[in-house]
Amino acid sequence: MAERRLTNSIRTLRFMAGEMTQAELGERIGVTRQTIAAIEAGKYSPTLEAAFRIAEVFGQPLEEVFQWGCVNPP
Amino acid sequence: MVAREQFAWVWLLTLVVTYTVYFTAVVLTGETTFWTQIVMFAATAIVQVVIIATVSAVIALRRKDEVSGDERDLAIEQRATAVAYNILVTGIVLVGCVLPFTQSGWKLFNAAVFAIALAEIVRHGLIIVMYRKGLKESKASRGWHG
Repeated sequence: MAERRLTNSIRTLRFMAGEMTQAELGERIGVTRQTIAAIEAGKYSPTLEAAFRIAEVFGQPLEEVFQWGCVNPP
Repeated sequence: MVAREQFAWVWLLTLVVTYTVYFTAVVLTGETTFWTQIVMFAATAIVQVVIIATVSAVIALRRKDEVSGDERDLAIEQRATAVAYNILVTGIVLVGCVLPFTQSGWKLFNAAVFAIALAEIVRHGLIIVMYRKGLKESKASRGWHG
């Protein structure tokens, strides 16, 4: 079975939202800047609630922000 | 570095240093009187409380908004605590169910202290590791929140 992992487009979406800072995004969803950095780097998978909040900030559906993709496609 | 990681560093360094000194003293002094043991343990505990309380208060004052933590802080603490709990239970079972047949007195007490110290050191060490390295969802048997 191919290994799968959660990836995200938060960095791109922050850029498109007028270079929103990690601290600003964190403040808007109620987490620290370091947590946003960890999510972006794939070092932490947020709760479903936080994921929805992030998507809401960018006005995007969840699947545009987070992807469940194959690391090593067959 | 988030405030919670700073707290973990303070705990880890304080526990490692003070318990290293304590157990070295226990080994070097060998069989001692009741009051010598009490004084050694009390001194260790007081030093720990003073260092941890002082440094933690300074961190809390400087990083007021981070002290309460967020969901990642909670997830990291839950994972580290789960591992430390297993170490603590194993140690306490050894101290309470196995060692009484071969040891007694202060050796039992110090074995219990060692189990507690080891569990706490592992807990704070894991917290630091998880803040530094993170944890890939695919490598975990359960997710961060499972």
